Amino acid sequence: MTSATDTPKKSGGFSDIRKMFGGGQSTLRQFGILGSLLVIILIFQIWTGGLTLSPTNLINVVNQYSYILILAIGMVMVIIMGHIDLSVGSVAAFSGIVVAKAMADWNLPWPFAIVLGLVVGALIGAWQGWWVAYVGVPAFIVTLAGMLIFRGANQVVGQSTTVPVPSEFGVIGAGYLPELPIALPFNVLTMLLGLIGVAWIIWNEFRLRGQQKRTGSDMAPVWVSILKVVLLSAVILWAAWLFATGRPGTSFPVSGIILVVLVIVYSFVTNKTVFGRHIYAVGGNRLAASLSGVKDRRVDFFVMMNMSVLASLAGMIFVARSTASGPQDGNGWELDAIAAVFIGGAAVSGGIGTVIGSIIGGLVMAFLNNGLQLIGTGADLVSIIKGLVLLLAVGIDVLSKRSGGASIFGIWSRRRQARLETAVPETPAVEPTAGTNETSIPADNRQP
Amino acid sequence: MKRIALAATAVAAAAALTLAGCSSSERGGSGDSTDAAGFAADSSIGIALPDKTSENWVLAGDLFTDGLEEAGFKADVQYAPASNTVAEQQNQISSMVTNGAKVIVIGAKDGKQLGTQLQQAADAGVKIIAYDRLIENTENVDYYVAFDNFKVGQLQGEALLAGLEERSGHGAPWNVELFSGSPDDANSAVFFNGAMDVLQPKIDDGTLVVASGQTEIAQTATQGWEAENAQSRMDSILTSTYGSQEIDGVLSPNDTLARAIITSVQQAGKDMSKVTVTGQDSEAESVKSIMEGIQYSTINKDTTLLVEQTIKMIQDLQKGEEPEVNDTEQYDNGVKVVPAYLLAPVIVTKENAAEAYANVPSLLEIVESY
Repeated sequence: MTSATDTPKKSGGFSDIRKMFGGGQSTLRQFGILGSLLVIILIFQIWTGGLTLSPTNLINVVNQYSYILILAIGMVMVIIMGHIDLSVGSVAAFSGIVVAKAMADWNLPWPFAIVLGLVVGALIGAWQGWWVAYVGVPAFIVTLAGMLIFRGANQVVGQSTTVPVPSEFGVIGAGYLPELPIALPFNVLTMLLGLIGVAWIIWNEFRLRGQQKRTGSDMAPVWVSILKVVLLSAVILWAAWLFATGRPGTSFPVSGIILVVLVIVYSFVTNKTVFGRHIYAVGGNRLAASLSGVKDRRVDFFVMMNMSVLASLAGMIFVARSTASGPQDGNGWELDAIAAVFIGGAAVSGGIGTVIGSIIGGLVMAFLNNGLQLIGTGADLVSIIKGLVLLLAVGIDVLSKRSGGASIFGIWSRRRQARLETAVPETPAVEPTAGTNETSIPADNRQP
Repeated sequence: MKRIALAATAVAAAAALTLAGCSSSERGGSGDSTDAAGFAADSSIGIALPDKTSENWVLAGDLFTDGLEEAGFKADVQYAPASNTVAEQQNQISSMVTNGAKVIVIGAKDGKQLGTQLQQAADAGVKIIAYDRLIENTENVDYYVAFDNFKVGQLQGEALLAGLEERSGHGAPWNVELFSGSPDDANSAVFFNGAMDVLQPKIDDGTLVVASGQTEIAQTATQGWEAENAQSRMDSILTSTYGSQEIDGVLSPNDTLARAIITSVQQAGKDMSKVTVTGQDSEAESVKSIMEGIQYSTINKDTTLLVEQTIKMIQDLQKGEEPEVNDTEQYDNGVKVVPAYLLAPVIVTKENAAEAYANVPSLLEIVESY
């Protein structure tokens, strides 16, 4: 906390840069995670001799982890509510096999199959949401049951076999932005997407400054705004360039576009809409929220339902990418999604967490996994490293929250201080002021 | 503290940007990967194996690492983890392609779910060899190396006939019962059809009598390859059919089921030294049983030979030559017939055990202790 109180004095200097992302405690934490992500990418970029940020690998990472990141979007909302959803992997597998079977056995056209999958997800979500919200069974139990039920249901429908899907369906999991018939050495649509992103950043900054001026609130200096816009635009354009110059036939993946759209929509929903703010309100203090008129059960219901719909979508993307739905699909996905959310700064107690943070948390895991695989680390070690990173990320978070700054020395000295403080009152405790058992027993024990 | 974090992030971002500038565009450079020319002798070779569920995969991985390094290649051997196995194997294969592997050998966790990754590999000019398990529903699998499973079935059938002659103490006709593997495993039918290729003529001419009358593959199936299913089926057959007559032999597709069948026969009070039971896989328990004169035979599929053959194919590809195959008809993966090199399995009985396990120290030790 000390440095936070220092800040106003130093205005006008380098510390203004913190205003780049709006300042505040939670954005700063996300900033730290973003920093770790960049460091991880940097380390592996050097270690793999430039493979990590090669177009092919970036496209791979998006394709490989988009479904986990989509799960993380739903999961962060569940976790903000103070719940957990263990069933996402099984729900994804069940929707996947239903969709695959529908296309194989009934010749259902693939766009309808996607709709069918989403409906299945919504029904499962309504079922689980009902148990959580209106019956009052803890989400942990409801979704643990769901995990078993829908894994079994997957195997009943698919008879424990792998069911192939038609190749057109593959577009949502392994498709790319198409090439326009323009003879340029890059994918035009991908670059266009990048330019739209840049335009949005500039417009957003203008709007923000305008708003701040009108309300007369604390404004960042102009140079910080310009630096922010230039930096973000550079990152976006350069990323777009990498995606646009991959192997011919590949560009920004369709699953990535789905992900980006969902991130924008859900960030908006959680930050700007009444429903979104209710999620934080209920997650932060359920009683206070319901006393102020928030229908907390309805929020529970829709958050759980939403999670299953997103799980179905993730399952279908995976099936599309795998060209088939198998009995093993979705095994362990819930854990990857939950890990992403917590690395992304959500609190176990609920009330805290953001969609963007969870995406960055998921990307930390994704680049870590990808980098370790590129340098040929065995699956056993990868698992250990991922586990340690999760523990470390949440550990630092917990420590910094408890002591207002994660300085090891600070923690140590505070601990020492605490020990001294507890040691001192022990002697007066022997004094006859207290006749209760609690104090007299330790006093007797000390006698022999 | 916070200022340090901010500064570090800014530095990292800047560094990442600069470094990324080094990675060049991948467009326009295509068309240089002509497959006929072969590739550099020290190229990276990817080996993607499923999770370490059986000793066999661990052994194969070690043999590949040593064998490929010896041949001058860079070996990139990866096992899929126990959780999210299929997806992680897909990722590993993609990473191998990114890493510039020239050949990727795949022991698939699920042979039907690798289409996208193999397309990626094919686009990058990588050759794919399916190892032990066929990869289905994709045109991008170049070769298949495995033991000949039809031959396994034939050898089991022959072993059953030889065992009946040797053990039953009487001439034909002999009473036998048939078992097959799990219906969801494509190999089950291959084993069974191989065995019936030998046994059906003998059933037709009356040399063999299937007293229970159960000769269809659906009737003989063992769901999930589970021992208890085989044991309960054998129990019921013994009760219903063998109250007054003797059973002389049982066709069992593998060792686990063979031991379950043997337990059932022993519990019914029959003398196992007169009954012939076949097997497969050379499991240590069954090798002991064979040396004690209980189970009659098993099959040895020598992993060493399979790995050697695969490395030989990789070396041919490196030189730009067409690798040798010996089957271009049997293995239709749904999109194309995959050219295969099939190795001959070896039947193992008490007589040839020492010779058959010369390459497998752990089993040789068991054999020599008798």
